[in-house]
Amino acid sequence: MMTADTKRQGDARSMWAAGFSRFRRNPLGMTGAVILLFLYLVAILAPALTPYDPNAHGDIPRMRYMHPSLSHPLGTDKFGRDVLTRVLYGSRISLSISLIAVAISVLLGSVVGAVSGYFGGWVDIVIMRIVDALMSIPRLFLLLTCVALFGNSVALIIALLGVTSWMATARLVRGQVLSLRSQDFIKASEALGAGGRLIIFKHLIPNTLTVILVAATLRIGGIILTEAALSFLGIGVPPPIPSWGKMVFEGRDVLLSAWWVSTFPGLAIVLTVVAYNLLGDALKDAFDPRQFV
Amino acid sequence: MNIVQPMLSFLAKRFIQSIVLIFIVLTITFFLLHLAPGDPMARYYDPDISPETVAMIKAKLGLDRPLMEQYVRWMASFVSGDFGMSLQYHRPVSELLAEAIPNTLRLTIAALFLHIVIGIILGILSAAKRYSLFDRINTVSALFLYSIPSFWLALMLILLFSLKLGILPSSHMQSIDVEGLGGFDLFIDRLRHLVLPAFVLGVASAASTARYMRGSMLDVLREDYIRTARAKGLAERDVFMKHAFKNAALPIVTIIGLSLPFLLGGAVVVEQIFSWPGMGRLAVDAIYSRDYPVILAVNFVVALMVILGNLLADVSYALIDPRITVTGQKRMG
Repeated sequence: MMTADTKRQGDARSMWAAGFSRFRRNPLGMTGAVILLFLYLVAILAPALTPYDPNAHGDIPRMRYMHPSLSHPLGTDKFGRDVLTRVLYGSRISLSISLIAVAISVLLGSVVGAVSGYFGGWVDIVIMRIVDALMSIPRLFLLLTCVALFGNSVALIIALLGVTSWMATARLVRGQVLSLRSQDFIKASEALGAGGRLIIFKHLIPNTLTVILVAATLRIGGIILTEAALSFLGIGVPPPIPSWGKMVFEGRDVLLSAWWVSTFPGLAIVLTVVAYNLLGDALKDAFDPRQFV
Repeated sequence: MNIVQPMLSFLAKRFIQSIVLIFIVLTITFFLLHLAPGDPMARYYDPDISPETVAMIKAKLGLDRPLMEQYVRWMASFVSGDFGMSLQYHRPVSELLAEAIPNTLRLTIAALFLHIVIGIILGILSAAKRYSLFDRINTVSALFLYSIPSFWLALMLILLFSLKLGILPSSHMQSIDVEGLGGFDLFIDRLRHLVLPAFVLGVASAASTARYMRGSMLDVLREDYIRTARAKGLAERDVFMKHAFKNAALPIVTIIGLSLPFLLGGAVVVEQIFSWPGMGRLAVDAIYSRDYPVILAVNFVVALMVILGNLLADVSYALIDPRITVTGQKRMG
């Protein structure tokens, strides 16, 4: 039992190392990683990068809708606020909300998937039918319903984004667990009297970590887009928090006269989501591509 | 007999599965409603309304019954198409839905058409010119299209085609002065209004379908019968279109089924931007005014569409693919 376990861990380590060395040779994936590193730095350093306050209104008649210039490289909005400053601060919202939401989503999906796959039988059937049912409600409709019923504070939006997007991960992890549970080290653990909870958290979930990591990276772009869509519809994080989706909305009525108000926050969303998708695709290729056909 | 029997049992099994799913969706919706904070009677707690009246309203709405009884009643009324009254419009929700559903279907079907046609064409061309510049551009643009928020793409297209160039309308399903138009002009007018929203809704999934189609074509091209076709001296174009495409296109049926939730979900945003009076718009308006009956009914109908769409896709896939046995397993070779 002991040897089987240590051997397994040794395999896991070399699997990670091999995966990351494959990843490092993928130029697209590295591009995504570098862009993300840059975006996170920008988010952390936002106050040092701009002299303006993201929320304070400018001298409105004079400052509103100023064209891009040296002092306001991306122009100003309706309230005379610097668009670049708001885009920089907006990265904090998008990046942090999506990161926490994806963590909730992946944690929930992994546990549900592992429980379903490990216990099998009726537990599996019931859980998987609930997953099917939840997946047949388009995510945005499900979110609209939840926001209407529960509200839209920042914490709630994060929780709802996570709680409405765990189903695909659950399916993926369940499949992994089904193939793992027939292996010797799980049987050995059971023979030694380990309970379901121990086996799930000590053996099954750690051994599906690469799959979970890739799933999380591929999911996060979608979560960023969904959060932005909620903000655009006016039911995302409440004002005056600078969210990219809401900034695009604010420029909607002045597209022709002040195109910069909508254009640049949108480009920021595209850049972030592209970077995550590049990273996710490369990780998928680096860690056993067959698992994600 | 041998073919009909398992086919029937497959149909029956998928049908029952779909009913079970609908049942679970209803259950989830019901318990979501009851998990939510706040009292549904709160709007009646007013000093001018006596407690007796409140109790009467409560009894009339069935809210004084045990939870299980409310659940059964809710199921029964939803299944029979009775979704209650809209709090905002004071009209039966089923009436509002009857107006919105055809509009959403028009938009979704147009988007689905664009998605499939663009997806298939780009996918085949990419597979034919594998690793060429065209193929690379396709792969990269697929990645971008998949990462663009639809609302932003919509605004950028409106800015270009409606505001700058003035060649396409930016909102609504038809022009205001449509009364005097004849049949053909009306059709063209509606088509022009459909172009931008359908494109925005369909393009992201078209990108992923193109990638899928490319992979599917390349898989098929590796099979023996393609080598045979080439060995017979068939022109490459014929090998591609007559032999490879036919088989590679089959999974598209499944893709249509799988893309339904994305298209319907995307319709929420697209309908909002283009003032398209469909179910997405109905749902968003209902949220602003906390019109729960409408939101829950829209949720149910959308899920119903997805479930039925998938059922239809599975059944037609089983019917058209000769390699598929009705148990859902592919025969080897």
